[in-house]
Amino acid sequence: MNDVAELATRLDRAQQAGQAIEQLTATTELDVETGYQIQEQVVAQRIRRGERLVGLKMGLTSQAKMAQMGVREVIWGRLTNAMRILDGGTVEVGQYVHPRVEPEVAFLLSGEPGPFGSAVRAVAPALELIDSRYANFRFTLPDVVADNTSAAGFVIGPWCPVPDGLDNLGVLLEVDGRVVETGSTAAILGDPRRAFAQGVHLAARAGVQLEPRWVFLAGAATAAVPLVPGSHVRAVVEGLGAASLKAAP
Amino acid sequence: MAVSVEQAVAALREAYRTGAPCPPLRGSLLEPGDLETAYAVQRAMLAGWVAEGRRPVGAKIGLTSPAVQRQLGVDQPDFGALLADLAVPDGGEVPLAGLLQPKVEAEVAFVLGADLPHEQVTSVDVIRATDHLLPAIEIADSRVAGWDISIVDTVADNASSGRYVLGTRPVGLADVDLRRCGMVLEHAGEPVSVGAGAACLGNPLHAVAWLAGTLARAGSPLRAGDLVLSGALGPMVPVRPGAAYEARISGLGSVRVHFDNGEREREWERG
Repeated sequence: MNDVAELATRLDRAQQAGQAIEQLTATTELDVETGYQIQEQVVAQRIRRGERLVGLKMGLTSQAKMAQMGVREVIWGRLTNAMRILDGGTVEVGQYVHPRVEPEVAFLLSGEPGPFGSAVRAVAPALELIDSRYANFRFTLPDVVADNTSAAGFVIGPWCPVPDGLDNLGVLLEVDGRVVETGSTAAILGDPRRAFAQGVHLAARAGVQLEPRWVFLAGAATAAVPLVPGSHVRAVVEGLGAASLKAAP
Repeated sequence: MAVSVEQAVAALREAYRTGAPCPPLRGSLLEPGDLETAYAVQRAMLAGWVAEGRRPVGAKIGLTSPAVQRQLGVDQPDFGALLADLAVPDGGEVPLAGLLQPKVEAEVAFVLGADLPHEQVTSVDVIRATDHLLPAIEIADSRVAGWDISIVDTVADNASSGRYVLGTRPVGLADVDLRRCGMVLEHAGEPVSVGAGAACLGNPLHAVAWLAGTLARAGSPLRAGDLVLSGALGPMVPVRPGAAYEARISGLGSVRVHFDNGEREREWERG
């Protein structure tokens, strides 16, 4: 347990300083389960500083990323209120290690258990800012789980009623008004609702209770791009609208 | 190096005839970057097909993604001819024996209701001339070994076209968001390629406008009734023997195709 607390502190300090560290697995043998224990401690340290849990996020929801990591299961992390960036808001790139952004869809939870229809109140276009605390954005599966699945920030666009179909909405990632990545919500496990079902299952297994008004980030619809100082980044989701952020010069 | 349209045509015809791909044409038969001669090869191939009684029905646009353009070191798309006998019915089976190294991709097909005769074309011209849209799967194929193509290789080789599959429910331009529409190409219920309308030159409409102007300047403008495959909305995927693929484009519906296991070829080899 000491080990877990010490490793969590290493990650927490890296996040606070915006400085990369070497992978935990470079010196310590870790499995995924221990990775989740470390993640819980990392987030617990943030909560001790006054942050609040506001939701969950999914990772490795695309076939390409799963193949790259050699896994068959998605991973999940925790979102706190300090990670929330207002739609159209500005962030300082320097506070992060090597931030990247990717377009996603977000769900607003009702807090009710049960099927998608009753558990999800609304859907929104979203941007996730990911920032591995590990040097060169390289990690093993237990490393990235311990690092709260690289969670660093998120932007939620306008909430919309859940449309009939969510399985093939076109997704554009724009930087300074130019389309740099294109994809579809189909990249998220074939359907973001599937990511939701898996996330609910994994959270329940970990004893996490989903709360009303929590946000659920379902996973990336395209590859991530580096966040460059001075840039304006926008995620556009067909039929839902857009979410954007600016990086301070 | 002597540039030879005839020799390039002969090499491509031989690849079609035997099913064995030829080495790249650039360097040996075509000057790298000599698009004019490459299109002359393409026209000569097409003239041969027409002389055999085959019917041209429109054009396909290739190299519409910035990533693919960068890969080939070009800054514009290319085009090739579509023949009526290369259409596969929606849900139909494609024998692998007739193909060399097929790949699939999903596209928006435009069917024109009016001519596009102008050398300078606006999106309004394309909107006015478009009768309807259909979802499409393009089965791209290369007669060049290992898909080792440069721009002149693919242009000479009819823009690497193979077969195409069209959906059957026509949709109007007003009913599709051509820039934002999502695309997923599925195999066995799993997405193997995803994208959106903007992946095709920012908007498939722009690709068609480019083609219309280019063909008008070349003296063979697009005509009412022509079919245009506007370019891929996501990455191409190599075809697996026996596999079935379904493409869905939001607002446009779906289209599907499957491939045999290549048994016919094996039977033929056994004699």
